Amino acid sequence: MKRFEYLAPKMVEEALKMLSDCGHGGAVLAGGTDLLIAMKRREVNPHYVVNIKSIPDLDYIQYHQEAGLRIGAITNHSAIGDSPVIRDKFDLLATACNKIGTPQVRNMGTIGGNICKAGPSQDTPPALLVLDARVKLVSLSGKRIVPIDEFFVGPFKTVLQGAELLTEIQIPNPPPVSAGCYKWATKTVAVDETLVGVAVLITLDSADGVCTDIKIALGSVAPTPMRARKAEEVLRGKRIDDRLIKQAAQVAAGETRPRSRADYRRRISRLLVSEAIAETWKKIR
Amino acid sequence: MSQRLSVVGKRIIQPDAAAKATGAALYASDIMVPGTLIGKVVRSPYPHARITRIDKSKAENLSGVEAIITPEDTAQWQKFDRGMKDLPMIAGGYTVPPDEGVLNERARHFGDAIAAVAAINEHIAEEALELIEVEYEELPFIIDPEEAMKPGAPQISGFAKGNIGKHMSYAFPAGDVQKAFKEAECIVEGTFSTPKQEHCTAETAAAVARLDVNGRLTVWSQCQLPHLARREIAHIFNMPVHRVKIITPFIGGSFGQRGALCAEPICVALALKTGRPVKLVYSREENFIALESRTGFQYTLRMGFQKDGTLTAMDTYMLGRLGGYMGCGPMASAIGMIFGLGHYRCPNRSGEADMVMTNTPMSGAFRGFGNPAIMWGIEQLVDEAAEKLGMDPIEIRLKNIKKAGEIANMGLRLESTYLEECIKRGAEAIGWKEKWGKTKKGTIRRGVGVATMTHCSGAAPLYLDHSNAFIKLNEDGTADLVVHPAPVGQHIWGALSQIAAEELGIHAEDINIVTGDTDVTLFEYGSDASRSTYSVGNATLIAALQAKEQLLERAAGMLGVSAQELEINDRQIFSSTEPKKRISMADVCYDAIYNFKGECLNISGKCSWESKWNSPPTGAFFAEVEVNIETGRVRVIRFVTAMDCGKAINPMAVEGQLEGGIQQGIGYGLTEDYVINKDTGVVETDNYDSYKMPGMMDMPETQVIIIDEPDPKGPFGAKGVGEPGMVGVAPAIANAVYDAVKVRIRDLPITPEKLLNALELARN
Amino acid sequence: MKQIATFIVNEKRYELAIEPHMLLVEVLRDELGLTGTKQSCGIGNCGACTVLIDGKPVLSCLTLALTVEGKHITTIEALAQGTALHPIQKAFVEHGAIQCGFCTPGMILSAKALLDKNLNPTDREVKYALSGNLCRCTGYVKIIDAVLAAAEAMSKEANT
Repeated sequence: MKRFEYLAPKMVEEALKMLSDCGHGGAVLAGGTDLLIAMKRREVNPHYVVNIKSIPDLDYIQYHQEAGLRIGAITNHSAIGDSPVIRDKFDLLATACNKIGTPQVRNMGTIGGNICKAGPSQDTPPALLVLDARVKLVSLSGKRIVPIDEFFVGPFKTVLQGAELLTEIQIPNPPPVSAGCYKWATKTVAVDETLVGVAVLITLDSADGVCTDIKIALGSVAPTPMRARKAEEVLRGKRIDDRLIKQAAQVAAGETRPRSRADYRRRISRLLVSEAIAETWKKIR
Repeated sequence: MSQRLSVVGKRIIQPDAAAKATGAALYASDIMVPGTLIGKVVRSPYPHARITRIDKSKAENLSGVEAIITPEDTAQWQKFDRGMKDLPMIAGGYTVPPDEGVLNERARHFGDAIAAVAAINEHIAEEALELIEVEYEELPFIIDPEEAMKPGAPQISGFAKGNIGKHMSYAFPAGDVQKAFKEAECIVEGTFSTPKQEHCTAETAAAVARLDVNGRLTVWSQCQLPHLARREIAHIFNMPVHRVKIITPFIGGSFGQRGALCAEPICVALALKTGRPVKLVYSREENFIALESRTGFQYTLRMGFQKDGTLTAMDTYMLGRLGGYMGCGPMASAIGMIFGLGHYRCPNRSGEADMVMTNTPMSGAFRGFGNPAIMWGIEQLVDEAAEKLGMDPIEIRLKNIKKAGEIANMGLRLESTYLEECIKRGAEAIGWKEKWGKTKKGTIRRGVGVATMTHCSGAAPLYLDHSNAFIKLNEDGTADLVVHPAPVGQHIWGALSQIAAEELGIHAEDINIVTGDTDVTLFEYGSDASRSTYSVGNATLIAALQAKEQLLERAAGMLGVSAQELEINDRQIFSSTEPKKRISMADVCYDAIYNFKGECLNISGKCSWESKWNSPPTGAFFAEVEVNIETGRVRVIRFVTAMDCGKAINPMAVEGQLEGGIQQGIGYGLTEDYVINKDTGVVETDNYDSYKMPGMMDMPETQVIIIDEPDPKGPFGAKGVGEPGMVGVAPAIANAVYDAVKVRIRDLPITPEKLLNALELARN
Repeated sequence: MKQIATFIVNEKRYELAIEPHMLLVEVLRDELGLTGTKQSCGIGNCGACTVLIDGKPVLSCLTLALTVEGKHITTIEALAQGTALHPIQKAFVEHGAIQCGFCTPGMILSAKALLDKNLNPTDREVKYALSGNLCRCTGYVKIIDAVLAAAEAMSKEANT
């Protein structure tokens, strides 16, 4: 790693000022599991490393009956995966967080870091997409709330500006009769990068009724995490059955734009979307 | 031959286990010597390039940099073969010309060493690397062995005409293969390919070198062959052997990779240049690109059978990819052919191999050394023949496996074999009868497969199988055993303690292993070819026997009986005819040392051992797999290894070898793919994010069965077991996949895409 | 530029002069001479560098030392009491779970983090907890046996 100056702000305001002063020479350090590898490989060589993990205000999981879930940006994946309220009400997010890396990586890595890396194969974005999450971005000039499906612009590119920090993830309560799941296939071995990740959230109008809404999101099959909107149309407003699931899965696979192992990824997308919908539907009934 | 054993055969705790469990055990990368500088290496980003200019001035001016060496600096030293095959360690005069310099002006592969730095800490050394300016003239390069052999291909080494580093012929040809194939009633053949497989030792290559005031060089080296390393290093640096001292620390895994010199040459060069101790620790990336990994092959194989399943003919042509320098790679084909063609009874056998140099990182020895590659094909063809002939794969194997007394793979008598029992017990354990050959339906299909193999205990008569052991008895009846196998994790110290203690009638914990210093230990070829327990064990046994003879003679005198009637058990020497006449080991040893009667003696024994035999271990491997025909994923759900490795000196240690072999075999078979970019020659899989070995969640339910019948030539009947554990894993998986979904993959590793393609082809 | 930072390692306080780029694994090994923590891959994939911070397993090769100032760091050296091995170490030794030993410290610490929370893990829970620790020698079999045996031994002791 090249030499750098280390800054450890204690408050968000302080961090923002530091980032603003550093300009392009500054990098935000949260869990370190991505940044340090990039620095070791000299892919990034920041002059300043701003450690936001030292800001206690950014580490929290709060649930409000009305507003829903609020997660601080530097909350560890393991904390999210173990959180009783998230496992109870937003379990696909817990599943996605428990899939990331290894136990050690989950103890270090943060949800904010995972989102901001914006790698095509991250696990939390598909879950966040179907949960209609929004992220709070703050800078010295104020704050903005950005829906997660507008956050990712390209591989490793987000709408985050230079001196802007993602501080919070906001997830509204899922509708009353709904369930979701996150399923994935890895590249080679069991503990491995995600080859295809699929998140699904289904809402029914009653326990055995019509599907009023379905959200299907996939990771690692396009330049950014994506919603399979055409596939969703196949099921939205209909009564779910095996034939429709198969059709939706087929359509979803067609919407993917994988770069490498493309045929195989399309096949796995189809299989996982089918599995995810079937499993979720079973959960609701 | 039944033996009443008190120590051998027990699951004793290893003498070094506690040190490893507490973190106290020191590995080369842990060694701290005052004043140590840290070394780093500049490596070629091109697969083939001439260095036209090196400007080290900026780097030299960096505060904290003590020295920078380039090929100009290292030209004063001798060229060498890092596999040390420029030394006469192989019978029949096989040597490899010394072709590699400590640093090289012409880079022959991506990652070849160009220059090196020694600085006061790692960070400054890294910074210095960036400041060294190197200009390269890129040269045409060759990645593919077939292309390398074509006329007009860039020549990589002056010693390899047409880039053929070595042409190897099968060492034990027999009969008339052409005729036999003409007469064969069933012929099976195929082309198979096996990849480079990286050892992924937990500890990366590392060395520490220190030049002492009196001109002696001490090197902490991970080399599996310490005395050979001593000689090779002395030779490279123009020193007499006695000026070099090799210290062997704990080694964090080897599996054959440390059978070659790794970080030592550059580390020593930096130490000599600076006059200060230097530590050189390779990064994981350097392990992937700068060291030898498993030799990859593409080969054709042909086998001929009679209608009743009798094997009559075998022939192979193997094309192996060596890399930019020769190293240990060429022997992989020789060994592969010897073990593969010599496994079953077959009266007509032939084989040829071309080992080809290419502009890629080197190839060498990795657990099994050519045997895993060739058995990948052989065991699949045997299954194909069985199917053609309407036989069960077990049946056809039982028909052709050798019996004790026949000529074994290395041309010596097969001293013992219990392969039949391995096959039968393993088949029962996996549930062969219930599971094999059933009609499979559905998306998820299960199958079982078998593979068998023979390996070696040591490499006599091919390699120099020379070990020495010296044992001395202390005044309290404990003993010091001076030996020098390499402690790579195979539990050799425990095994040797058990062997010595058994012979001497004392306890394993009464033995102190004196090792790891070439100043003190006698010549030892080293740990290689599954030989440590067998060969160093035999040397230990005979040394202990000698000491015992001296001991009993003295005891006889003290007891007033004849030595012949004396026995030792549990540290007590007693007359077998009059057990009341007894004396403790301690008393006899004490008397020998603290003796004022002119009879002083430090009771001891010494043995220079050269194996005249080779007792090949045999084994049967059974895989149960689950194949998802939609995703193409293969999951190994159960694995059974049944091994005949003679008497297990320590069954716990033997199990460990077999269980570890399963992990490496699953990697070889399913998950590990070493990828070199064909257009740039760059190694794309250079760390664990891109190169995947099986983790805890990838392992099947395992069962290992140790037959535990003693071999007449091994120490207390032991045979080698370091390597065999991985040899049959991949082909057993391939055969199980065939049983599940009726397609064959001949190209390792088996990947989902390959499987889906094969299923698609089978449907059309 | 070096700055003085306070580290609490194995319940002892150390004031060390640290540069920002220094990794926790380097500080432990080179500054404190605690060589039990190993470096193996450098990118957090193998777990050999595992230490516990506030009881949780983390990768010291991806941790800047300054970021853990004042936190309670536990390395393998903390476990044995003189020559008396920790039950997990004892189990590893007795079950043949150690071959070359290089992955062992990281493996034991991950096991400790599990057993400190759960003294009755299933086979699967053990594998999951140790899934970030790679081993090339043992095939993992005896490691899992050892952790389950340690759980039993520690459980018994907790109940007496």
